[in-house]
Amino acid sequence: MSRSAIVLCLVGSCLGACARLTDHVVLLPGQSGRVGSLAVATGSAEIVLSEAYSGVDVAGGQLKPVTTSAQMVREAYGRLLDMQPARPRVLVLHFEFGTNALTAESRALLPRVRSELLALPAGEAVVIGHTDRVGSADFNDRLSLQRAAVVRDLLVAAGVAREAISVVGRGERQPVVITADEVAEPRNRRVEIKLR
Amino acid sequence: MRRPLVALSMLVLCGVGFAGEVTPVAGLVKRSAGEVTVERSGQLWAALVGTAVHVGDRVRTGDDGSVGITLADDTLLTAGPRSTLLISDFRFNPTTHEGSLMATLLKGTLSVVTGLIARQAPDNVRFRTPTVVLGVRGTEFIVEARGGGE
Repeated sequence: MSRSAIVLCLVGSCLGACARLTDHVVLLPGQSGRVGSLAVATGSAEIVLSEAYSGVDVAGGQLKPVTTSAQMVREAYGRLLDMQPARPRVLVLHFEFGTNALTAESRALLPRVRSELLALPAGEAVVIGHTDRVGSADFNDRLSLQRAAVVRDLLVAAGVAREAISVVGRGERQPVVITADEVAEPRNRRVEIKLR
Repeated sequence: MRRPLVALSMLVLCGVGFAGEVTPVAGLVKRSAGEVTVERSGQLWAALVGTAVHVGDRVRTGDDGSVGITLADDTLLTAGPRSTLLISDFRFNPTTHEGSLMATLLKGTLSVVTGLIARQAPDNVRFRTPTVVLGVRGTEFIVEARGGGE
């Protein structure tokens, strides 16, 4: 029994040492510093990574945990990371109470959208409408889409190319402030412009 | 009852007929350097900035190539030189954030910043190499595949 265990162990270590490295995986911290987690699995084994710069080497189908560092990642993958597309940037617009008119503050953001979009390669503006929870979910889906369309038209009037804009109505699904149903909450009535 | 069914099945047939030519758009090429191509239905395109990436596309980079793609759910995919990346599956509903993503790195290096689908339904997001399957929980990572796939 102990012999076979030793043999297995030798075979195992030979595979680990002799087999060609086929894969290398590294978990990175998110931009906010928050680290997600990543499950690396073959048919028979799995390693779950949850620490920044922890990783897995795969050789001969065997998974081996490894530890890297910010510096090692920079040296090995710096040029790769430098080619990442821009992170989406979100501007939030608010309306005058009970109207389809933007507040003066929000109106002042529109010219910036045009210049920021032009600075992005293949820039897209995703205009996303949100409502509070007054009214049915279906009604709020339609209302949020209408609000997004209002902002799209304002952007087009401000010189943004219509083809670069898409509109989305998220209805009441994504409140800034959590409320009970049928509660009026002006902070949740908003339109986001996501630039990417 | 019969007539709508017939109409529906014709629609489905049309859908299938078109699907062979144009699969749904998954994202856009935002950065492109050196030799980068997209292979779709046996045809090869230069993947310039602004090129749409469709489900089923194979994105390939040459010795000096690298490419950055933003998917519709904000997932950022960046591939380094000598890479082949297959967009196996991508569905995204921008209203509900429901969807799924499967991408296969056949060879090369890939950096991933996960997007809205992974936030809403992480089990629906998978990355593969010829050897391993990666399941994500809202995360950023790099994967390198040296297995030499196509």
